[in-house]
Amino acid sequence: MGMPVGMISAIYSFALTTGANRVVRGARIEHVCGDPGLGPEKDYAYGMRIVRAALHALTVPVTGPTLFDPHAGEAEEDAHAS
Amino acid sequence: MRLEVGSFPVRSIAFGSATRWADGRLTVDKAAALAEVRRDGRIVTADLEIAVPGESVRIWPVRDVIEPRVKVEGPGQCYPGICGRDVTTVGQGRTHRLDGMGVVEVSSVNWHDAGGDFVETYLDMAGPFAAMYPYHRLQLLCLVVEPDPTLSDESRNDAVHGAALRLADHVARATVPLTPPGREVFALPPCDEPLPRVVYVWGVHSPQAMSGSLTAFCTATYGLTQLTPPWVLHPNEVLDGALTGPYRTAFAMSWTVANNPLLLDLCRRHGRDWNFLGVIVLRTEWTTQHEKQLAANQTAKTAAMLGAQGAVVTWDAGGNEFIEVVRTIQACERLGIKTVFLTSEDDATDGAPTMLEPLPEADAIVSTSFFKNVTLQVPDPGPVARVIGLPTKVIRRGSSVGLHGGADAALPTAGTLPPPGRYDDHYGFGSLSAIE
Amino acid sequence: MSEPVRVVHYLNQFFAGIGGEERADVGVSARPEPVGPGRALQAALGDAGRIVGTVVCGDNHAADQEAAAVDAIGRELAALRPAVLVAGPAFASGRYGLACAAACRAASALGIPAVAGMHPDNPAVEAHRQHVLIVPTAESATGMPAAVASLARFALRLGRGEALGPAEVEGYVSQGRRRVWDRGRPGYQRALDMLLDKLHGRPVVSEVPFRAPDRVPPAAPVPDLSRATIAMVTTGGLVKKGNPDRQVAANATRYHRHSVRDLEALTPAGWEAYHAGYFNHIVNKNPNYILPLSFLRDLEGKGAIGAVHEWMYAMPGVSTPVAMARELGRSIGADLREARVDGVLLVAT
Repeated sequence: MGMPVGMISAIYSFALTTGANRVVRGARIEHVCGDPGLGPEKDYAYGMRIVRAALHALTVPVTGPTLFDPHAGEAEEDAHAS
Repeated sequence: MRLEVGSFPVRSIAFGSATRWADGRLTVDKAAALAEVRRDGRIVTADLEIAVPGESVRIWPVRDVIEPRVKVEGPGQCYPGICGRDVTTVGQGRTHRLDGMGVVEVSSVNWHDAGGDFVETYLDMAGPFAAMYPYHRLQLLCLVVEPDPTLSDESRNDAVHGAALRLADHVARATVPLTPPGREVFALPPCDEPLPRVVYVWGVHSPQAMSGSLTAFCTATYGLTQLTPPWVLHPNEVLDGALTGPYRTAFAMSWTVANNPLLLDLCRRHGRDWNFLGVIVLRTEWTTQHEKQLAANQTAKTAAMLGAQGAVVTWDAGGNEFIEVVRTIQACERLGIKTVFLTSEDDATDGAPTMLEPLPEADAIVSTSFFKNVTLQVPDPGPVARVIGLPTKVIRRGSSVGLHGGADAALPTAGTLPPPGRYDDHYGFGSLSAIE
Repeated sequence: MSEPVRVVHYLNQFFAGIGGEERADVGVSARPEPVGPGRALQAALGDAGRIVGTVVCGDNHAADQEAAAVDAIGRELAALRPAVLVAGPAFASGRYGLACAAACRAASALGIPAVAGMHPDNPAVEAHRQHVLIVPTAESATGMPAAVASLARFALRLGRGEALGPAEVEGYVSQGRRRVWDRGRPGYQRALDMLLDKLHGRPVVSEVPFRAPDRVPPAAPVPDLSRATIAMVTTGGLVKKGNPDRQVAANATRYHRHSVRDLEALTPAGWEAYHAGYFNHIVNKNPNYILPLSFLRDLEGKGAIGAVHEWMYAMPGVSTPVAMARELGRSIGADLREARVDGVLLVAT
């Protein structure tokens, strides 16, 4: 009955320890989905990788707190596209 | 490092024609003292007031309480590095202190303008709220000071804190030619017996994350407030004020740091109950997991390299800063260093864990009770006869002051006020705790 | 010398001598005297307490027919009129522990104080300690004498109407009712004492026992993102520019939901962060950092996700007690379930 939650956090180990089941590594507390220091294009691409990883996490069965890497989302997207 | 500390008790403060100390009486030449304060052209208004124990007086806003300390012999200057002061390593020679008093820095200047951090502390000298803190037993010389309002935040902070330090220097210097009634030597000589080797891991908030600045004002290590790898300090450096400057809570003041009872006991029982190796300052509020874990690992490694078998750990903040502190404890335990954590607790409603990130390695915790004054059910301090400082206190909607969800309000300082948001006895001065 | 405290003892089928596993289905019965370990309990009570009856129930019956069993136990207690109920000790037996907890609840419902004995790792402890007084025992019946002595002590005090002190002081299992307490000595002294104890291998009792955070079973995955409606939630303190809703910056007691139906992205003109726990200025320049609308719209446009849910939910997470967070989460979850949202992205700062 529940719906999966992809939690994006820069302090991801803490999210896992405290029981969030699908956790994605965010960039930094002050800018979780991206990095202004990268310039607009790379900032957006980084944020997109994080968001894709979080969406990917929603599709994965897990048995407990699990960390998802923002780079995995990229690979998954390539797989979907082909 | 050997430091002789000469203590001059202060049982009363009065204004007079010259600044001098005699038989527990401190006389302050107001004009001379204010001239010292005004040496910085950034100071626009300054005045001195005295508050005594038991008086119906409220001091607001309290940015810092500083115990006057001055070097008499040995290198450097007390409260080194901050506000442009000499950065020479301190902790040796002879230092004089005025015991039983504090210089209170009273100013409307806030820490920084990035939001989230506000000066909230006010002090009463009588009543149940006053009794929660050590200051109500001190003679307080209050500097009510305002800088040029057009200056930057950092400049204004620098100006008023520097002014408070100059005032502290001025009164402390009255003791320089005198023989202290009380003297204590602080040193950590090699221990004959195989006593357990212990370090004090001291978590200190850095304003870097909240302010977005490397140089925002706050508690400093030799004047540096930014996030840095851990610092190893000899306890004598702390006694000479190397860890200085305030943060948000009434227990995070230069006075409580220099008079930290945990640090003093560690020093005094060296060679008897333990071999005290020193202090490791862990600057906190890193904002990625990577940095937090790195700070923790390196602090634990430093303790191990010093030879620590045990560590007592404190911190002076709240929120996510807990993470690097508890992970330091975890890292120490994993290196075989036995830890004790002295900390406050979060809300326990519905049996919730009161440690932000409960880790099983943090298995020896001493609690200084719930940090929220709301949870402690501290009654609102009532009206007072006199106010030192601003006549109104802004209760900011959404500041950590209670649960004021309405509009920002400005209440008369002399009337009933909500207590500041946090109690938080960082160094275990009191016996308030929690139990289940 | 006052009247002896009237005690009723609750036992399972095994300790009552009825039989083992094969008799675990037996229903509730009562006998007017101490039975089995009840005799040791009576000896421990001495003249101060009298076991006026023993209530027995099979562990399986108590588990499978809980309501009926609790009812029947209640009727026996009403007839016996004890001042206190003692249940067990159940030691490590999980079903017996749960049955003891049920018996205690039956007593409490009648206003009769009750105490159960079991090992701290008994599954019934975590499930019921908040509402049932539990005294810790050994894992097995080799710990019977100590368990019975402990139960007798608590039974007499409860039966006399005495209020108990905190768990840490009295020795019963914590009921999660943590409260302010003056420990009489400054914290720094207690910390250094504890350090020496630890270093010298002496037992240490933490003033804050380890309590693991709750676990929630993970929800089933979204089968097909391209047909999924995704909602966004943030604890980063996102507010409309100027904070017209007057949300607080910390200690939130509510969240706000906002419609993103007509938005392709969050802009600094329309939104900002108001959160006392982090530097807000970067998010103020690009609010999508804490609520990734721009990214989700992009993916929605490409068909990678089915739809962005119309409503997003925002609050400042800093200083929120766990109990409040749970409540807010339940409320948002109920909203999203009613809206048939398939998955959620939650951004935390």
